[in-house]
Amino acid sequence: MVERHARPFSFSHTCITITEMADIIDKKALEHLAELARLKLTLQEETKLLKDLQNILAHFDSLKGLDTSNVAPLTGGTMLQNSFREDEERESTNAGKGVENFPENQQGFLKVPKVFEH
Amino acid sequence: MKSPLHTLTIKKVHEGLLNKEFSALELTQACFEHIRKTDPEIKAFLSLREEAASREAERVDLALAKEEEIATLAGIPLAVKDNMNFEGEITTAASKILETHRASYNATVISKLKTEQAVFLGKTNMDDSAMGSSTENSAFQVTKNPHDLTRVPGGSSGGSAAAVASHMAIGGLGSDTGGSIRQPAAFCGVVGLKPTYGTVSRSGLIAMASSLDQIGPITKTAEDAALLFNAIRGKDPLDATSTNPSNEEKYEAELLNPSFDRIKKMRVGLPQEYFIDGLASEVKKGVEEAIQKIKKLGLEVQEISLPHTKYAVPCYYLIVPAEVSSNLARYDGIRWQGTKERVEANTLKERYFQTRGEGFGPEPKRRIILGTFVLSSGYYDAYYDKAQRVRALIKQDFENAFEKVDVILTPVTPTSPFKIGEKVDDPLAMYLEDIFTLPLNLAGLPGLSLPVRNQACEPLSTDLPVGFQLIGKPFHEPDILGLGRLYEETT
Repeated sequence: MVERHARPFSFSHTCITITEMADIIDKKALEHLAELARLKLTLQEETKLLKDLQNILAHFDSLKGLDTSNVAPLTGGTMLQNSFREDEERESTNAGKGVENFPENQQGFLKVPKVFEH
Repeated sequence: MKSPLHTLTIKKVHEGLLNKEFSALELTQACFEHIRKTDPEIKAFLSLREEAASREAERVDLALAKEEEIATLAGIPLAVKDNMNFEGEITTAASKILETHRASYNATVISKLKTEQAVFLGKTNMDDSAMGSSTENSAFQVTKNPHDLTRVPGGSSGGSAAAVASHMAIGGLGSDTGGSIRQPAAFCGVVGLKPTYGTVSRSGLIAMASSLDQIGPITKTAEDAALLFNAIRGKDPLDATSTNPSNEEKYEAELLNPSFDRIKKMRVGLPQEYFIDGLASEVKKGVEEAIQKIKKLGLEVQEISLPHTKYAVPCYYLIVPAEVSSNLARYDGIRWQGTKERVEANTLKERYFQTRGEGFGPEPKRRIILGTFVLSSGYYDAYYDKAQRVRALIKQDFENAFEKVDVILTPVTPTSPFKIGEKVDDPLAMYLEDIFTLPLNLAGLPGLSLPVRNQACEPLSTDLPVGFQLIGKPFHEPDILGLGRLYEETT
């Protein structure tokens, strides 16, 4: 079990082995993750999620025994080449679309709640 | 006796329309009549568009009356999974967070099928945001397996598979990130194709895991799958990962008119890692039956090894949540309302928390949290980066195997359709459902799920369907569909 910091997901890079991973999510860490993901969870949901995540992460421990030091990560689908198109003028066909879905709009502009809080 | 119209295949409908044996409108009406009788029990559809579909069918009849040439998909009543944008229609991905979302543009696959003058019956049920293997995760309803109403149809494209299997639709579209076309096709006794990553545009598909998602057909026969797949595939400027096969003309010719002489010369590989102890006896028996039939057709069958198979499930369930947490960040209750009842919120942040808390189902929440975790600093290397390296090894396994064989044959699922409620509270058990299908998505390969015995014509037969999977080299859909057709025509 690693020492838990006040902010376990800070940008400081800590070296942790996978064995410890299953233990790493506790209630506090889960709450922090939910905060980062902007997700409101009920107490009931938290309890179930915590148990599920621990089970799932324990299952993932099997990866730790596999040596991948000489393998380059595969980041996408099959075609690992860039896809270019001509940089040319095109007619926009969807201007103004999507406005009908806005919960609130003013002259076609999206109205949002206050962004800055006091 | 003539078969009722709604039980026909795409191929037969096309011939029937050309020969003026029936009209497109009669067929569409027959489908809706059957839907009215059948769907209250099966619950495959989330929405129906009888008026609009009838008008689409009438336009095909008009073209036929004027002796105009019609496309193969013209007048074919289709069921579309509800995660594909259909302009003007509510498109929810069976998620509460998209309950009020009316699509403002067509997915490219829909545009292509509209150009072909296909008929769209309605949108089908699925697991919430395409996350699940049983369609029980839908925010709206539970779809039943047409072969046994107490069992799941598979998922996440369970609605489309059940609609095609029970003859409510002539064909359907699904999407497949880890098996979501192939597993429900196997559970419902129909054919499902997950194409090579990049062959079908993802534009307008509500994204789950973008490096794995592919749209594909669910049909009654392999020949129909080839026809529907051919209509939706192709490079699309709106999806930078989409592409055409290198030799388009040869590819299309082989897709539509496979040379059975060539198919019979293919070598078939059986990966030992897929024939495990945990395989249910009925699945083992079914797949063995398929292997024997394929041997009888003259194909050479040999055992192969895909040594990293056991790492595929953890690898997949690290990569998918990571992509999910990123893709689902856009659901914030700002540009559309999300849930039907607008949440009470005074600040922007509060609105995010409330909308997402009330709108996402348990599985999306689980994956968002897990994804946020594996992408966080300090855990990224140990989990996400590790999984991407394992993904490379899994792809390498297939490349090595394809030096020895042309296609790989495996089971689709470890068990036959399970009972409704059996696995719904155990996410890990549900994840293991995808053990034989998700390695293909990680490697970007095409896979065809084919019933051992074609049961689509008898939706209420007492035997539960068993499927087998044919895996092809990248951009070799003609190989697996061709073998599928040969299998169907000779068994």
